[in-house]
Amino acid sequence: MAEHPGHSGTRDAEPMSGNWNENPPWVVPVPTDEDREFFEGASRGELRIQRCDECGLHQHYPRYLCSHCGSTEVKWVTASGVGTVYSFTVIRQNGVPPFRERLPFVVAAVDLEETGARLVASMPGADPAQVAIGMQVRATFRSVGEGIGLVDFA
Amino acid sequence: MKRNVCVVGVGHADGPYATGLQPNALIAQGFTRALADAGLRKDQVDGLASAGHSGMHEVAVAEYLGIRPAWLDSTSCGGSSFEFHAQHAYRAIEAGDVDVVAICYGSNLLSASGRTLGTGGGGGQRGMQPPGPMKYEFPTGLTLVGAYAMAANRHMHEYGTTPDQLASIAVQMREHASRNTNAMYRTPLTVDDVLESRLVADPLHKLDCCVISDGGVCVILAAEHIAAGLRWSTKPVYVRGGSGGTTHHSVQGMSDMTTTAAVIAGKRAFETAGIVPSDVDVFCSYDSFTYTVLVTLEDLGFAPKGEGGPFVAEGNLRLGGALPTNPDGGGLSCTHPGMRGLFLLAEATRQLRNDAGESQVQGAETAVCNGSGGWLSTQGTVVLGTQSR
Repeated sequence: MAEHPGHSGTRDAEPMSGNWNENPPWVVPVPTDEDREFFEGASRGELRIQRCDECGLHQHYPRYLCSHCGSTEVKWVTASGVGTVYSFTVIRQNGVPPFRERLPFVVAAVDLEETGARLVASMPGADPAQVAIGMQVRATFRSVGEGIGLVDFA
Repeated sequence: MKRNVCVVGVGHADGPYATGLQPNALIAQGFTRALADAGLRKDQVDGLASAGHSGMHEVAVAEYLGIRPAWLDSTSCGGSSFEFHAQHAYRAIEAGDVDVVAICYGSNLLSASGRTLGTGGGGGQRGMQPPGPMKYEFPTGLTLVGAYAMAANRHMHEYGTTPDQLASIAVQMREHASRNTNAMYRTPLTVDDVLESRLVADPLHKLDCCVISDGGVCVILAAEHIAAGLRWSTKPVYVRGGSGGTTHHSVQGMSDMTTTAAVIAGKRAFETAGIVPSDVDVFCSYDSFTYTVLVTLEDLGFAPKGEGGPFVAEGNLRLGGALPTNPDGGGLSCTHPGMRGLFLLAEATRQLRNDAGESQVQGAETAVCNGSGGWLSTQGTVVLGTQSR
């Protein structure tokens, strides 16, 4: 979505359709010691992922070991937020609120430019007809609780 | 010395509607009917395999059925669990660890939960945190149907697969269901009917998705010397080989959405069984969605990678086609109570016994069952035949 300005580092910078900012408790992730950095990072507008010191590849979600090479030398880094749509779908039926009230909406699998890391994320502002595999997208951030943010793409 | 292993009994529980029957009652229905089909008493069953959604599921089943098996398997990897059970049981019987294994499944999904499984009701419901890495995806609003849709979309992008080609799979399954009085939906469909049904998650329409039903089934495996004294001894069905594998749990873990673990599982299963794809007379494919069938056909080598679309559009899945697939109508039209893998083994057995009536694939000698679990996460392949290896 090249015509959309990037918003890496800002929070809630785009107007959202539906009620994307109303997030009942059952859709708010409960961070653990392992992934708190990811959710806290997103709440302050940073996409935090892990990079392996051994093989140089990245991963999301955070783990004790590198899922690529098995090394335990994984370190937190801040991703640029730029990625490419590997695939996507338009969700037109979801019976669970608040998703029910947001229909239809795009969910994409996004390969970050930091090799090895892929995120599945919503694209709240996207016109389904304008989304395509291979398009470049940029991370946006949405706070859903104290120190808990979600990563979206636009 | 290694022993040959046979399928000796098959029993279906009530379905596709079984209001008032709890899952264990459906399991018991299938179990008692499979025992009767085999000509076995329940005290002859010394192994039990079952998959459910809770810890110690198989232990509860054993108690409910009133059996005390010495061999248990509760591998629970979604719809393919039962192909894993069959493979494990086959090896254990072959080795002499156990003689008779009942593989059981029962679910009242439709009666209990309605048609919610694929569209937001199947995990991470209100008040419940989703398990494992689904935690990172549930807040996006992605559904089970959406996960398969994403994979189908990628296949369309890479190989030019079309919605019409996917739809033709649903059409052929319905054609089979029209011959099956036990099928949930029997009115013939056209490709346009599928394409005109509403989109659930692009590119998958409602009629690209399996039915949601109640039901259950039991398949009993036994060592050949036991099978020789049982009801189907003149039409034995042998387990010839099996294998399985997994590639991912979460959707973000599905690094290649157009290739599944069936590439590995199928190759190993076929090698063990001593067959090649062209030997297969009946294919029982997991068909949670039309795309599930398409990608599986490619991964097992029935069509080259990327050519599954033209392969299905030519009508090859029909009775009388090059690869008759799901003669019972499959999950797309016949029955799908949450996990369908065990129904594949039951249907393959019915075909190899030449006991399938209007749905019979003439002269069927070799059948392949391929179960798929999660969102193409796990694949289990089992080869059955009328001859031992």
